[in-house]
Amino acid sequence: MIGWRFVRVAIAFAILVILHYTLRPLLGWRAEMDFLVVALLLAAVRVRPAAAAAVGFGLGLMGDALSPEALGSGALAMSTIGFSASWMKAVFFADNLALNGFFFFLGKWAFDVIYLASERRLRGTTLLYQLMLWSPLAAAVTALAGVVLLTLLRPLLEPETS
Amino acid sequence: MARAVRSGSRVDTVVVIVFAALSILIGSLPGPARESIAAVLRRSIVAPLVSLQHGAERARKAFISYDATTRMQDSVVLRAMRVTELESENERLRRMLGLGQALRWGFVPAEALSGRMRGEEHTITLTAGATAGVRPYSPVVAPEGLVGMVQSVDPSMSLAIVWAHPDFRVSAMAVDGSAFGIVAAHLGGTGAERYLLEMSGVPFRSALKAGTLIVSSGLGGTYPRGIPVGMVLRELETEEGWSRTYLLRSAVLPPDVANVMILQPTRASEGVQTVWAAAQQPSAAVVSATPPSDSAARRAALAEAAAPRAAPRTAPAVAARRDSAGRPRPPRAVPPPTRPQPVPRAPPVRDTARRDTVRQVTPPPDTTRRDTLPPGTAP
Repeated sequence: MIGWRFVRVAIAFAILVILHYTLRPLLGWRAEMDFLVVALLLAAVRVRPAAAAAVGFGLGLMGDALSPEALGSGALAMSTIGFSASWMKAVFFADNLALNGFFFFLGKWAFDVIYLASERRLRGTTLLYQLMLWSPLAAAVTALAGVVLLTLLRPLLEPETS
Repeated sequence: MARAVRSGSRVDTVVVIVFAALSILIGSLPGPARESIAAVLRRSIVAPLVSLQHGAERARKAFISYDATTRMQDSVVLRAMRVTELESENERLRRMLGLGQALRWGFVPAEALSGRMRGEEHTITLTAGATAGVRPYSPVVAPEGLVGMVQSVDPSMSLAIVWAHPDFRVSAMAVDGSAFGIVAAHLGGTGAERYLLEMSGVPFRSALKAGTLIVSSGLGGTYPRGIPVGMVLRELETEEGWSRTYLLRSAVLPPDVANVMILQPTRASEGVQTVWAAAQQPSAAVVSATPPSDSAARRAALAEAAAPRAAPRTAPAVAARRDSAGRPRPPRAVPPPTRPQPVPRAPPVRDTARRDTVRQVTPPPDTTRRDTLPPGTAP
C-alpha cells in the first residue's frame, strides 16, 4: 500500500518537474511559475523533514546546473523550503485548496528570498524591486498553477479509501 | 516513543544542516569548480530536462516568429495592393499629362468627384470653377474621350453631367466621316448594358460595322470635332425605317473618371481634331514623365507605343506624325468627310449648346437636315 502511494506521488512529482522544463519556457512569462517548488512542497508534506531536505537539495542542484554562477543557492533555498514544509506539515496538511495555494505562494516567495540573498547578484533597489514585486507575482502565479495542478492530480495524490 | 520522535527530529535537523552547509560550500567554490560540477549535472541527470527546455524554447521562438512573419506578410500584401493602386493612378496621370501636352492650351485640369447619392449618379463635381476659367457648357474630357459637359459653375467648383445623364446629347460621326447621328445614353439598359450609349438618326444607307470608332462631329457647337465618344457594338432594332440606331460602348466609364480636362470655349472653338490622335501616340511627355529609374514603366510605355493600334485609332495617329522639320503633317489616312466641315464660329452660346444636350423624341432635325445637304454646301 505504501509503495503504491509512493509511486503515485513520484508520478505527480515527475509530471511537475517535466512541466517546469516545458510549459514554463514555452509561456516565457516575466513572472514565471515555478513547478519545482510545487513539486517539492507536494513531496515534502508526505515525507520526513530530512528526506524533504534531500529532495530539495537535489531539485535545487538540478535548477542550479543551468546557472553555474549561482550554483548552491537553489540547493540551499530548496533544502530549507523542503525541510520547513515537511516540519510544518501538521499545520498545513489540510485538504483545502486555498490553504494549499497559500502554502505554494509562501513556499515560492521564501525560495526567492533565500535564493536571491544567497546568490548575491542583485543589490539595492533592484533586489528590493525583485523581492517586493516580481517575486510575489511569480509566487502568485505559482500558487495558482499549483492549485490547478493539485485539482487535476487529485486522483493521483489522494489517499486510497477502502 | 517520545525519545524516538526526539531522536528522529534531531536526525532531521542534522541532515538539513548538512545539506545547507553543503549548498553553501558548493556556492563558495571557485568559478571553474562550480562550472565543472554544473557541467557534470547538465551532461547526466539534467540532460533530458535541458533537452526538453531547449525544445520548448524553440517552440516558443517559432510561435513568436510565425506571428512576426504573418504580420510582415500582411504588411507586404497591403503594400502590394497599394502599389497596384499607385501604378494605376500613375498610368492615369501620365495619360492626363499626354492629353495636356496635346491640348497645349485652353484647358483646365480638375479632379472629378463622383456623386454616390440617389440622383447624383449622372453628375460629377469638378474641383475647378469660374476662378480657374471654367464656363458653363464647356466640354469635359478625359484621355480616353468625352466625359460630359459642365452644367453649373461656382467660383471654386463646378458641376458637370456625364454622358450617362438622360439629357446628354452629342452630335457624332464615324471616325471616317461616313455616318452622322446623335449620341445619347442608352436609357433602360441594365446590368452589362447600364453604361452604354446609342447613336440614333444614322441615315439608313450608312451602315456601320461593329468596332467603328465614333467621335464628336463638331456640329452643335458645344463639343469640338474629334473627341472619341465610343465604339459601335451592334445595330439596335427600331421601328423607324428611315434611319438606323446603333448601340455604342462608351470611350469613358463614368465610375472610372478621376481626373479630367475642362476645355475652355476658345479652345473648343479652335478644334481638337488631332489631339486624341496625338494623345494616343507615345508622346515625349509620357516618356519624359517616366523617371529614369523606372525602367519597367519606360519599357511598358515604349511597348505600348510600338504596339499596333486598332484601325480607327491608327488613322488619326498617322495624321499626327510629324515631318522631318518637326511640323505636323496634314491628315493623310483620314478620308475627307462626306459632309461639309463646320464653319468656325464664336464660342458656344447657350442656345447652340442646348442643341446638343436637349433630349429630342423626334428624329434629330439638324443631323438629318445636314446629312441631306449636298457636299460642299455650307450648313
